Amino acid sequence: MVTFQNTQVLLLALVLLVACLAKLTIRERVADAPDHVHGVPVPAGLARLTALRHSRGLNVGLGVGEGVLGLALLVTSQFSVRLATTLAFAAATWVVGELRVRRPDAGCGCFGGLSAKRVGRRSVARALLFTGAGIASLGAPMAGLDVLRDERTQVGPVLILELALFAALSPELPELLDRRSRARGLGRPETPCERRRSPVAETYATLFDSAAWVEHENAVTSAVPLDVWREGCWRFVVYPASVEGRDQEVVFAVSTAERGRTVRAALVPAPVTTTV
Amino acid sequence: MPLPHRRGARRRRLREAVLGASPEPGAGLPENAARPLGALSGTILDASPHLLVLNADGAELRLAMSGDTTVWHGGRGGPAALRPGREAIVRPKAGGPGIDRIWVDADRVAGTLLACGRDAWEVDMGPHRGRAHVAIPPHALQQVLVRHPRLEPGYLVDVICVRSPGGPQAVRPGTSQPGYRADDLAGPEAAEPAPAVLRGTATWFARPPVPRGAAYPAVDPEGDGGGCAGAPSGCVAFPFLSIGSEITVHNECSGRAGRVPVVECGCAAARFCDRCVECGASPRGRIVELTPETFVGLGGDLEAGCFNVLARPDVPAVGSGGAGEGPSW
Repeated sequence: MVTFQNTQVLLLALVLLVACLAKLTIRERVADAPDHVHGVPVPAGLARLTALRHSRGLNVGLGVGEGVLGLALLVTSQFSVRLATTLAFAAATWVVGELRVRRPDAGCGCFGGLSAKRVGRRSVARALLFTGAGIASLGAPMAGLDVLRDERTQVGPVLILELALFAALSPELPELLDRRSRARGLGRPETPCERRRSPVAETYATLFDSAAWVEHENAVTSAVPLDVWREGCWRFVVYPASVEGRDQEVVFAVSTAERGRTVRAALVPAPVTTTV
Repeated sequence: MPLPHRRGARRRRLREAVLGASPEPGAGLPENAARPLGALSGTILDASPHLLVLNADGAELRLAMSGDTTVWHGGRGGPAALRPGREAIVRPKAGGPGIDRIWVDADRVAGTLLACGRDAWEVDMGPHRGRAHVAIPPHALQQVLVRHPRLEPGYLVDVICVRSPGGPQAVRPGTSQPGYRADDLAGPEAAEPAPAVLRGTATWFARPPVPRGAAYPAVDPEGDGGGCAGAPSGCVAFPFLSIGSEITVHNECSGRAGRVPVVECGCAAARFCDRCVECGASPRGRIVELTPETFVGLGGDLEAGCFNVLARPDVPAVGSGGAGEGPSW
């Protein structure tokens, strides 16, 4: 029983430190909080509360508070620290339960920007279990670091089991994995060519490196293009040209795709200009 | 700088040379769509109960009016509103000669609210349209407040106005105010492909550079595309176009459709993620802002502010040589 109680101290310290880190480092996007729920405008009072929860100052304050509690659980076995932790988780359970009923679309923000998805039963169950863990930890005799140092306490199996349960009840985990894979460029969805912002320098680099450019390069009579414009997946570059003494224009169509860009070219007669 | 339609025709010719032929001008229009009405605009030179004389780009137009011709001048107005010097948009009757409706000195201010007083607003309409000082008379304020509850700097506003010597004077709301701040627009996912047919709302804008055309939210800012640098990408997955590109615009409410050239960057429209409820609720997203002539020619009423739209940008196909290929409506 004592081992179980000691394990709860470690678990709660770990959770509080992770929550602190997430709140301080991962910001929530403002647009993630909708102003309508199921097509109905959010009442002004609730909207103000949601705006308050999204305030950076409040999030930093909460994160720092959680960090202090987590560190205190690790270094001291004071009853007041355990009680404060239990009360904090009880309050969090109430808040998450209320959010689930009143603002399900707004996310709970429990782990900063990772908790932007709608509050579900899993989030409420998780907060409830942490409150239970807090109650169990009230009678734990050791501080968190002492539990880790003491070789006689066999906290490993219980802690691993609880962490697995914590992971299973956390909708933030897929979001975290998704962000990590995006940051490394793994699995990042490709922007469709018609919507991709393609700098004109990239177009020129692709063009000058293409076989179409090599074919028509000698016909081009000016380094400055006559016209450069874009339609969908293609950017068009028009140069003045001269072929066998006749004035022509060479039109290059350069793909705006992220990868595998192609270039096409055509020669057209130059328009007749009249001088007045 | 060449006019947008001349530049568009030249670009289309060059595009076809390198990627293949475009479809016929009527291709891509919805089945059974009616053609646009030949709307006109100009400065009023003279008006009598049966005749309206307009100066349209230097040409004098004499248009027949009948007893059922209606005149709008900040509300239902009579022939007395047709004073020389005022600007008029004229929509002919669908079934025969004569004028159906005339809008006199119609104006519109849509953009980000910069300052808000009791009887006047300062509105930023985007980098190329500048700022507007809008007077809000008390009777108009009541109507505007119904659909614009957040009168705070940073929120979007859109009001139909009538021109006055002191500047635009609000008459009624253009559309319902979006609930987010102008810089809090949530765009579509980066990987979402642009649909062949865009659905949403079409509005109109005042003082266009040319009488007919559209402002499109995703005009390429690079090269000679004509777009605004730093413009938001909008709340719909738009394909990039350039000044002179063409869009087939179908008014779902009137059933009229036509091909419209892009004549301006619609970076102000890109900030609006709103709906039109003229004939059922449209999907969110301001797809095009039309010039007043084009808007009324497609069957829209300027005082209504919008119509539900299907728009098919004329973009070349991705892989094949053919241009403008796409699914039917």
